[in-house]
Amino acid sequence: MKRININIAIAILLASVVLSCNPLDLDQIDDPNNPSVSSVTNNASKEQIQFLLTGLESRHRGYVTNISQAWNTFGRETWYLNASDPRFQTDWLGQAGRVPDRSYFGFGNTGGGSWAAPYQAIKQADVLVTSAENASVLTDAERRAVSGFAKMIQGFQFMIPANFVYQNGIRIDVKDPLNPGPFVGYEAAMDHVKSLLDQADQELSSAGTGNFPFRLTPGFSGFNTVEGIRQVNKAITARANAYRADWQGVLTALDGSFINLTGNLNAGPSHPYNGPPDAFNPLFYVPNAAINTIVVVHPSVLDDATPGDLRVARKFLQRTTAVTITTDATPLVGTHQDARWASNTTPIPFIKNEELILLKAEAHANLNQTAQAVEAINIIRSAAGIGVYSGSTAQAALIDEILYQRRYSLWAEPWGHRWIDARRYNKLNEIPTSYDQGTIFTQFPHPQAELSWDQYVGN
Amino acid sequence: MRKIYKFPLILALLMIVSGVSMAQYTVTGVVKDDRRGEPLLGANILVRNTTRGTITDLEGRFTISFDNNQSAVLVISSLGFLSQTFAVSPSNNNLQVSLIEDATSLEEVVITGLASSVKRSNLANAVSSVSSKDLMGTTTVQTTDGALYGKVAGATIRSNGGAPGGGISIQLRGISSLSGASQPLIILDGVYINNSFQRSGRATVSGAGGANQDDGANRLADLNPSDIESIEVLKGPSAAAIYGTRANAGVIIITTKRGAEGKTKVSFSQDIGFAQPLRLLGVDDWSEEKINFFFPEARRPVELERFRQGTKIDYEDYFYNNTALLSNSRITISGGTDKTKFFVSGNINTEDGTVRKTGFDRYSIRTNIDHKISDKIKLGVSSNYIKSNTDRGFTGNQNNSGASIGYSIAYVPNYFDLRPDANGIYPVNPYFSENPIAVTDNAVNNSEVNRFIQAFNLDIDLLKTNTSFLKASFAGGLDFLQNSTLVYLPEFLQFQRGQANPGDAFWGKQESFNTNFQAALVYNWNLGKVNMNSQAGLVRLDFKNSSLFTRGRGLTPGQRNLQQATVQEINEQFNSEIQEAGVFLQQEANFDDKIIGTVGIRWDKSTLNGNPNEFYAFPRASLAVNIANFDFWNSTVVNQLKPRIAYGETAGPVAFGSTFTPLGGANIGGLLGSVVSTQIGNTQIRPETAKELEFGVDVGFFRNRVSLEATYYIKTTQNNIQSLNLAPSTGVNTTPSNEAELENKGFEFGLSGNVIDKSNFRWFSRVLYWQNRVNLTRLGIPTYIAGAFGSGLGTFLYAQGYAPTTIVGSPADPSNPGGFTFWGNAQPKFNLSFYNTVSIARNLELSFLLDWRQGGDNINLTSFLTDGGGTTNGWFDDDDGDGIPNGRQRPPAPFNNAGRWVQDASFMKVREIGLYYTIPKTAITNTFGSSVENIKIGASANNVFLFTKYKGYDPETSTFGAQSVANNVDIAPYPTPRRIFFHLTVDF
Repeated sequence: MKRININIAIAILLASVVLSCNPLDLDQIDDPNNPSVSSVTNNASKEQIQFLLTGLESRHRGYVTNISQAWNTFGRETWYLNASDPRFQTDWLGQAGRVPDRSYFGFGNTGGGSWAAPYQAIKQADVLVTSAENASVLTDAERRAVSGFAKMIQGFQFMIPANFVYQNGIRIDVKDPLNPGPFVGYEAAMDHVKSLLDQADQELSSAGTGNFPFRLTPGFSGFNTVEGIRQVNKAITARANAYRADWQGVLTALDGSFINLTGNLNAGPSHPYNGPPDAFNPLFYVPNAAINTIVVVHPSVLDDATPGDLRVARKFLQRTTAVTITTDATPLVGTHQDARWASNTTPIPFIKNEELILLKAEAHANLNQTAQAVEAINIIRSAAGIGVYSGSTAQAALIDEILYQRRYSLWAEPWGHRWIDARRYNKLNEIPTSYDQGTIFTQFPHPQAELSWDQYVGN
Repeated sequence: MRKIYKFPLILALLMIVSGVSMAQYTVTGVVKDDRRGEPLLGANILVRNTTRGTITDLEGRFTISFDNNQSAVLVISSLGFLSQTFAVSPSNNNLQVSLIEDATSLEEVVITGLASSVKRSNLANAVSSVSSKDLMGTTTVQTTDGALYGKVAGATIRSNGGAPGGGISIQLRGISSLSGASQPLIILDGVYINNSFQRSGRATVSGAGGANQDDGANRLADLNPSDIESIEVLKGPSAAAIYGTRANAGVIIITTKRGAEGKTKVSFSQDIGFAQPLRLLGVDDWSEEKINFFFPEARRPVELERFRQGTKIDYEDYFYNNTALLSNSRITISGGTDKTKFFVSGNINTEDGTVRKTGFDRYSIRTNIDHKISDKIKLGVSSNYIKSNTDRGFTGNQNNSGASIGYSIAYVPNYFDLRPDANGIYPVNPYFSENPIAVTDNAVNNSEVNRFIQAFNLDIDLLKTNTSFLKASFAGGLDFLQNSTLVYLPEFLQFQRGQANPGDAFWGKQESFNTNFQAALVYNWNLGKVNMNSQAGLVRLDFKNSSLFTRGRGLTPGQRNLQQATVQEINEQFNSEIQEAGVFLQQEANFDDKIIGTVGIRWDKSTLNGNPNEFYAFPRASLAVNIANFDFWNSTVVNQLKPRIAYGETAGPVAFGSTFTPLGGANIGGLLGSVVSTQIGNTQIRPETAKELEFGVDVGFFRNRVSLEATYYIKTTQNNIQSLNLAPSTGVNTTPSNEAELENKGFEFGLSGNVIDKSNFRWFSRVLYWQNRVNLTRLGIPTYIAGAFGSGLGTFLYAQGYAPTTIVGSPADPSNPGGFTFWGNAQPKFNLSFYNTVSIARNLELSFLLDWRQGGDNINLTSFLTDGGGTTNGWFDDDDGDGIPNGRQRPPAPFNNAGRWVQDASFMKVREIGLYYTIPKTAITNTFGSSVENIKIGASANNVFLFTKYKGYDPETSTFGAQSVANNVDIAPYPTPRRIFFHLTVDF
């Protein structure tokens, strides 16, 4: 019996060790890898606001890769040749009569870089504005600077989904993730863009003067004052007003922008790409690399070029070996690649002086201010080394000339200018499909996830 | 194990003899082996419902005495034999016992609970047991899971590909989860071990995509299968309820070998073998006509010139058809005394792959020690150190980089020579972005695992009377795993030269540390004629994981150190910690082996849940009735008849981080930003729960020579977690939801027994059949399609009333849920396995295992690639004579839909064949004297033959690794090897 008692004693001892550690007690486990959103929405520090603002710059470039590859293909500025996945050819070129569906290749259920990504930037801007409003350490001027910057980015970003689905319309009331507002038409969407950009201007106008109170990336170098950001905002407003066909509005906005008729055509803010831990410039390809996934110049752009156009020489590199893609549809051959980027850390501009001058030309042409239109066109033509404009000054001819110059001045910018421009002027049928037997899309349907959400909540 | 050393036996006998004088009557008897008529030494004699007993001596004799005149029941048993019971009394005190071999494993003890086990004949669940002989007795299989094929009814086992070092998924009774891989919990000697598929970074470097396209190995590959004594498979919640939160997909309980009392046994085994691809498809030949058809006009002259000059190379043969050397050396030393027993094993496994520069090496050391600290206290420890070194090469999916053999050669015509010239210069591949020979020769995809698994158990007998005992049982252990990975593409490769920073080195370090602990009290007592076993205990689990992946690009020639890189990057750092705790109660009642009932409950909480302090309850109940054990039963044909029913509930864990709404880090332009995550955390998230009702019958015929086991189950899961897609226009995409419900219904059937059972010829045969039907009974969120590569190439439908394994794709069909055409279903119609082993005399044994899976479709995108490149064997044939070759016109018409790539993946495989010869004892003694006990030689093969209409290397393939759905997509996989072995085992 003594032995039993010893054993019981040992068992009790072990049991008490067990219980003293209390194996049933669990620690609270917080996210070991990231701060939480709730940590910034209430009384954030200035440093936290700075991180959110830089985060907004990061979200602001989320569209670049997808739009550059896809929209520029839709407008036949480029082909995105990809031997690893033929759908970049077959689906994006609309070969064999393919038309976009709600979860089209390259866009998924969420619309990817053409829908979800710009809305993520819009969300980020909302969180930034709310956090700044609730951050008592900020001065009122700082708060307005942050808010103005955020709304400028929102205005820019809303144009992306709006142009993606065009007449299908977009949601503009998107603050509450569980209660998004209805879809509104393209015009209402663009009016919302205008309204945001006007609010941004208002906020920035009372955000003091001098240096922007938070650090901006080198993408805004030359613009990192409150006044500089206002100029960028006005430039974006000019683009938006052109889409709204508010031609006087374009000119007014240009007045407050960084337009410079005698200055560097490439001046403007950009998305920086520094390489790790930052991203690489996604549009850069090593010259003449023996690869078969590459953006190439669409043959129509080469065929339509004016002899001696310096833009052709500067932007297109004729490859020593053409890239050939054989899929079950028509084989595609790319002879030229994009030469705009010196390296994989070259920044990518998102609006530049050259576009502003072209917007000025377009606005004047639409307002039948022919002389001013030709004057602006000639700035572009001279810079391209193709002499002054000598064609008809009828409005239609001028518009055609401006659209032609835009094809080369704004070639393959991460915006799909030609696709949008051709649609604006009902000229989608002028985009050639003979090179690839494809289809020119007008617009996309809403991504499946939007439809699914409406089904989920019972609309 | 059957041999028991003489000395303690004599001691035992002496003790029994010394007790005789106290007795009122004495029972004596002899126990023999029924088949051979030889006496059985060491058979157990137990007085039923007491703790008293004895064992037989060398002549099979025993004596047991009683200190009163009341009748009693003796239970006579011996390992490997069916036990028998005898009523004894002063007038009936002499027994002649013939024990029958337990051909159908009824006597096997099955671990069913956290602190309990039960004899198979009393089991109320269809628990599958796989013994060491079943597992590795026929041939040498690389990994433990690979050795389970066809041995567990209800288990759908899939190999992701043929790369060396594992990569196998197991689904028990269908799909239990839509989000995870739905893989069973694996417990090794009581330790919750890590069986994850770890990231290697290959898919990042090759551009394929996420870590699920790495073709990584699952870490069960680290375990030396030869160390395993037995595996028990608890297939569903009804059997696994006591394991609680992690048991939704079943539990696999692995028990390793332990030492036995007696002379020290040294056993050395050497397997030498080779591997070759099980199946190759051949590549298409080219002609000038084909070149003129295939290439654009501008390209034709150069192609025709290459064709006219070139030598023809079958690249499939060149890359895959190599003979790989396999070697597996094992040594085990075991033995012990009454107080201390030990089992020590060492294993060196070196296997090449059939693709050059691939292979799998494993080094394992195990020490299992059992020690009696006192009569009442027993300690067991098991220690295992493993080092695995795996080179899996470059196959599977890729994007742009060309770092995949199969993907690249799909586009290379056989008249172009990719081989290096005399100076070692690899020609530029003009058909794709990379020269795959250069990749195979120079690139690295290595994983080196260092792992330590330690288990312990401590049993303390607190109280022992004649009819009851109380035991405290403590058990637990740890699993520490470190995986160092490297994916390296040197700077001189074609694709790398086309990059801004040529040369890519991707380093990974992953560590996981699991610990678990349990404490239980077990009280065994009798309530009248009912034996009661009561258990109460608690369980604690901790899981810690950390990973760090770094990448260097722009490398100094020949260097792979990160500091030799122009661009140095931290690709990923991720840490996670999980804590779980549970309490359990279980009551078993056994009425005379006639009626056996169990009720139990476990409560669990986890830091993964929305509310980490909420206990979730998992009850269970089961009942088995051994009708043949009742006195009224006197059939001579049916000697066991056991209807059984069991019910249980379990859960599947929430994924780590589901409750968080994080701000991620994003670097831009030299600054760091915080970005709002696209997932909103769900702070209400609950575990996935499952309920299962299982019933069946076990029947034994002809003195249990033949047994039949039939089981039907209905498993329903609730609160299944899937991402609820939010409107992406709100800037957030998903939040985890608990909405879906699944139902799995299925049938499992097993028939086994000795067809012929003569003293020098025995033929054992076993047929297993199983089928499962899964249905998404509730979706709770809008119908969606997901998985694989989108609707154009075949994807999966998630719609209420449909199996989530349903394959849909283009063309669109608005009349169907999800809006696309139905093309197939990944779920097999049924599985059937057929195992036979024939023993002739005592020396020769021949075994084979056949594995048949009927139905189940794959999405074969390897065909899609080779058709795109014109290299599919028979591409230029034109079956319908319309001038368009087959390779451009795969049915169904109009030859542009996803249905072209959905193929029936039914197959029959001869999994294992083994032939062994044990050299007669006399011959050994004559040659080696008494130093050698036993010599066994043999030859065997694994994955011997494949019969299928499927147009791929193997119908078993998954480019996405282990997933509950979309685990059947075929993209340029590593071909499955056929493995042939020669064996030698010497026991000293």
